[in-house]
Amino acid sequence: MNNLNFINPFSVREDPGSSVGDLYTQNFSRHAKTGTVILNLGPQHPSTHGVLRVIVELEGEYVIRAEPVLGYLHRMHEKMAEVKTPWQFIPNMGRVDYLHPVAWNWAQVGACERLAGLEVPERAEYLRVISCELNRIASHLMWWGAFVMDLGGVTPILYAFEEREKINDILQIITGSRLTISYFRFGGVSADIDERFVRLTREFIPYLRERLKMYKALVTDNVILRRRLEDIGPMGVDICQRYGATGPVLRAAGLPRDVRRDIPYGVYPKLDFAIPAGPSDDCFGRYLVRLFEVETSLNIVEQALNELPDGPVKMDKAPKANWKLPAGETYFAVEGARGQIGVHLVSDGGKTPYRLKLRAPSFCNLSLFAEAAKGVLLADAIAILGSLDLVIPEVDR
Amino acid sequence: MFRAIVDNIKGLWSLIVGLSITGRFFFSPVKTVHYPRQVVDPESLASYRGPLELVPADDVGGSKCVSCQMCVRACPGNCLTVIKGKEGKAPETYLYDFTLCCLCAACVESCPTSAIRFSHNVYLTARTREELHMDLLADLKARAAKASQ
Ligand code: SF4
Ligand code: SF4
Repeated sequence: MNNLNFINPFSVREDPGSSVGDLYTQNFSRHAKTGTVILNLGPQHPSTHGVLRVIVELEGEYVIRAEPVLGYLHRMHEKMAEVKTPWQFIPNMGRVDYLHPVAWNWAQVGACERLAGLEVPERAEYLRVISCELNRIASHLMWWGAFVMDLGGVTPILYAFEEREKINDILQIITGSRLTISYFRFGGVSADIDERFVRLTREFIPYLRERLKMYKALVTDNVILRRRLEDIGPMGVDICQRYGATGPVLRAAGLPRDVRRDIPYGVYPKLDFAIPAGPSDDCFGRYLVRLFEVETSLNIVEQALNELPDGPVKMDKAPKANWKLPAGETYFAVEGARGQIGVHLVSDGGKTPYRLKLRAPSFCNLSLFAEAAKGVLLADAIAILGSLDLVIPEVDR
Repeated sequence: MFRAIVDNIKGLWSLIVGLSITGRFFFSPVKTVHYPRQVVDPESLASYRGPLELVPADDVGGSKCVSCQMCVRACPGNCLTVIKGKEGKAPETYLYDFTLCCLCAACVESCPTSAIRFSHNVYLTARTREELHMDLLADLKARAAKASQ
């Protein structure tokens, strides 16, 4: 069996540490027990969203060890930030996380604004909140559908897409795009909302509230789903904090941490919204927290629309594409759909930033998978992976 | 024992509820737009960012562009090539590589004369890469000729 450069996933290896498989598999199997099966999930596998690869060691149907292999979608975003002007880097952010691009927009634009001390008009701040929350709903809906599909229910994702398309229609009015949005500008946003945007959003809010009831009857109360999720993959506060997990994963564990509340930015301090914590730290808890956040976001959008002040949506003399950052260093964090998005920006006053570090929530959330998946059934490992809501381009950046 | 029976009955009921929902949706009208027999209404494409186009300055295919190169310098993808003509400020060549464009609007927002804008063409298809290397001046002339017919 030596010198084979493919791996038969179902072969039971007699000799641990044989040279079957690629470098990662070989390295992984060096510590394998005799009689176990090494299985590659991905990089192209329907249950791992995007090109994530997980090597697992199976004993029967139980995972005894798991190791994510990253890097298949590495696109050098951080390096690109060093060769482009801050303005030219804005469209990159939509590609980092295609499900919640507006939050990444905000993180980068906010970091530059903080460093340069730019003032954003009040109306633009409200528009930022509205677009960001609508996008968060779209992201959670997409996760909801994909997660249930991972567990074997193919129908719900089609319903989720109907809502998602409606949000895309709404966001397209102001951003011009449906997926990789670049809407934020230094000192404001690129376009003001119109009457159609307001009408569609106002129609959408009660519509989605109704649909959430249907979601509950169709999926949340479903006995098959509950048996697949309840008490599966408990991740307490301890493991979350050790790995730096944030967002719904941490909140499901019972710690109500949310950047929107803890390190306020934009006009979030003026808005009234609940940060859920709990009810349980298993997969079902994470599922419920996300659905609850959809409702929270709807409330925020509604409030922001009601309180929307008049005025410009962009500051006077807003920076142009050749704008230079002043020298200095800053950090800016926002709450994305998956957790804390952080941008650490260092500038030496040149045309392009000296360094831009992106903190991706999915990366930290994924890193606890190896520990959480120990000793669970393979099907439950998939449920755990799904409940982390990973976006692979964000993991690899 | 009694609990288990109740749980199972509740579980079975949840399946019936779920099936009735999917059944209802099964018989509800189709939600998707069946292209090409149907198209989305133009109103919802009003702000869609399609490939760039030049804004006509007159009816014969003149453009507002003054070849200042602001758009070329602003573009993060190096999609644009603008070469100034011999006389006046009007460009002689205006090439646009749609394969590199990320539709970010840096060019549109940095143009001092508002000479470029996004088209709302969602139906663009191409079989080869070269078809997406567009000559925007030629495109502008073609549009003007079509409009004057
Ligand atoms: S939209 Fe952006 S990428 Fe496309 S040509 Fe304009 S500046 Fe370049
Ligand atoms: S910025 Fe406008 S005027 Fe200047 S070259 Fe580009 S299109 Fe022409």
